[in-house]
Amino acid sequence: MPSAGALLQVENLHTHLGGQWLHKGINFSVGRGEVVALIGGSGTGKSVLLRQCIGLTRPSQGKVWLFGEDLCALSSQQLNQVRSRYGVLFQEGALFSSMTVAENVAAPLQEHTRLPLKLRNELVAMKIRLAGLPMEAANKRPSELSGGMKKRAALARALALEPELLFLDEPTSGLDPISAREFDHLLRVLCDSLGLTAFMATHDLDTLWGMVDRVIVLYAGKVIANGPVNEVAQLDHHWIRAYFSAHSGRQ
Amino acid sequence: MTRDSPSLECVTAADGCVLKPGGCWCIDQLERLDDLLHSTPVPHDCRLKIDASGLTDLDSAGVMLVVNRLRAQGVVWSNVDLADFNAHQLDLIHLIAERLDARAQPRQQRSALLPLLGRKAAEQAQALVSQFVFFGRIVEAVVEVARRPRLLRLRELTTQLETVGLNALPIVMLMTFLIGVVFAFLLGVQVQKFGANIFIVDGVSLAVTRELAPLLTAILVAGRSGAAFTAQIGAMKVTEEIDAIATLGLSPIQVLVLPRLLAIIITLPLLTFVGDVMGVLGSSLVAHAQLDITYYTFFERLKSVLPASTVWFGLAKTPVFAAAIALIACRNGFAVQRDARSVGEYTTKTVVQSLVAVILIDSLFAIAFPEGGL
Repeated sequence: MPSAGALLQVENLHTHLGGQWLHKGINFSVGRGEVVALIGGSGTGKSVLLRQCIGLTRPSQGKVWLFGEDLCALSSQQLNQVRSRYGVLFQEGALFSSMTVAENVAAPLQEHTRLPLKLRNELVAMKIRLAGLPMEAANKRPSELSGGMKKRAALARALALEPELLFLDEPTSGLDPISAREFDHLLRVLCDSLGLTAFMATHDLDTLWGMVDRVIVLYAGKVIANGPVNEVAQLDHHWIRAYFSAHSGRQ
Repeated sequence: MTRDSPSLECVTAADGCVLKPGGCWCIDQLERLDDLLHSTPVPHDCRLKIDASGLTDLDSAGVMLVVNRLRAQGVVWSNVDLADFNAHQLDLIHLIAERLDARAQPRQQRSALLPLLGRKAAEQAQALVSQFVFFGRIVEAVVEVARRPRLLRLRELTTQLETVGLNALPIVMLMTFLIGVVFAFLLGVQVQKFGANIFIVDGVSLAVTRELAPLLTAILVAGRSGAAFTAQIGAMKVTEEIDAIATLGLSPIQVLVLPRLLAIIITLPLLTFVGDVMGVLGSSLVAHAQLDITYYTFFERLKSVLPASTVWFGLAKTPVFAAAIALIACRNGFAVQRDARSVGEYTTKTVVQSLVAVILIDSLFAIAFPEGGL
């Protein structure tokens, strides 16, 4: 059973992929209001794990509890209900390319609520402003936006339904350092004021030091560390040492 | 999760007015909240205080609604006292009030008819120009290959020959065979009425070799390979592979277009010839079964009534069809923009345009050479 207070809990999760075991018994949980980062080398299955937490793919073994519900046991209808309670920011934004930004943000509202058009437009305008985009961006198509603006538009869409939990896949990848820090700051402000819980897969050390409450380290199919950044950074494990010293050259 | 339904109370006192929201002020109650705020008049000329002691839940949609509606009633937001909100809610309210401050309504752009017409016309003219430019680049590439045959990508050419030609063989054979059967059957019904059974050979051989097989094969290839060309080149454009080819110092036209153009020009006549044979075979089958014409008689008659020039005329049209299909398909492939929608859009365009082109070219041939090959 999931422990009380955990929005997301992963229990003894195994994944068999491409002829080998990618995850060999993963356990962790994310409590309400936490901002948790998942790190690990390329190919350790961060994105796969994230997709399993979202309910897009099923683990080979083990359980994923989201809002206290076992994702594997849910019917597709119940799963869709759970889905309206979290938002996802995909790596490349995954904005619908045939729609404008405003239509993208309105899409989840259109599907899951029955708000009159005027209220919906008001909400869309608010979310776009909340994500730090100028209102002129609302009528643009994703192909006319810069990378940073695309991420912000995708964030506005992820926030459209007032989710309690936000999943982020590499939120700062592909952004220049200045935009990346701005985006981190925006995320932190939003998490704090909207009372969001966030679970992200990331590679960005500055994100870890700047805005994350807790880090979960994935290595060789297992969780090898789970704690605040400054504690994890002190751990004596060769991969963790290599990871946290990877940026020291710039000092 | 059960949520308390929202409520709103407005108490006017001597020193100002107190708004008491209660229950859950969240997105799923937004419509009710809007009604509540509309039905509760708030005086904007006195001090306003919002007392959150009855509030159970609040999210950004709820905050937005309060801020927007109060502002619409003339309340200056910075003068509003917020009481009994917890720290998180205060953060949220301040963030949203601040963000909504700089709000400008998105403009709805609606253009008049004349500018729209002009823009469309300019677009069409541009498309025409780009088509000529594309054609010119292909001619340039062909000339270059003719001068230095080593530039021709033989491996790509053979791959394309296989996919365009060999792999299309079964479907072309089946379709032309069936058309031969159907045509001979319907014609057979007519010639039987006049007792002119043997003339079925004249009719079928002329129709199949001059019109049906070339046209049908071209249509099949346009739908099959033309669409594939556009989708392939378009997808490569989306993933920037075409830019990669250009940065390697290669010409995308040389690498992508010429092999496809050549492959389709080489294979379409061959496929059409197979189609000729299958169509005639199909009709001989029907002639045998329906009209009691033996195979020997059928092919003896065929030898005397079908001059080789008719077959040649039918085959001579096909390289022109092929060139049109390849040019349209490749140009549309290069015109794809970098989003998922436009690949589908241009693939559709390719199929429609190349079918129109094939039939137009065919009618031009019919008008220009009414006696051609007869």
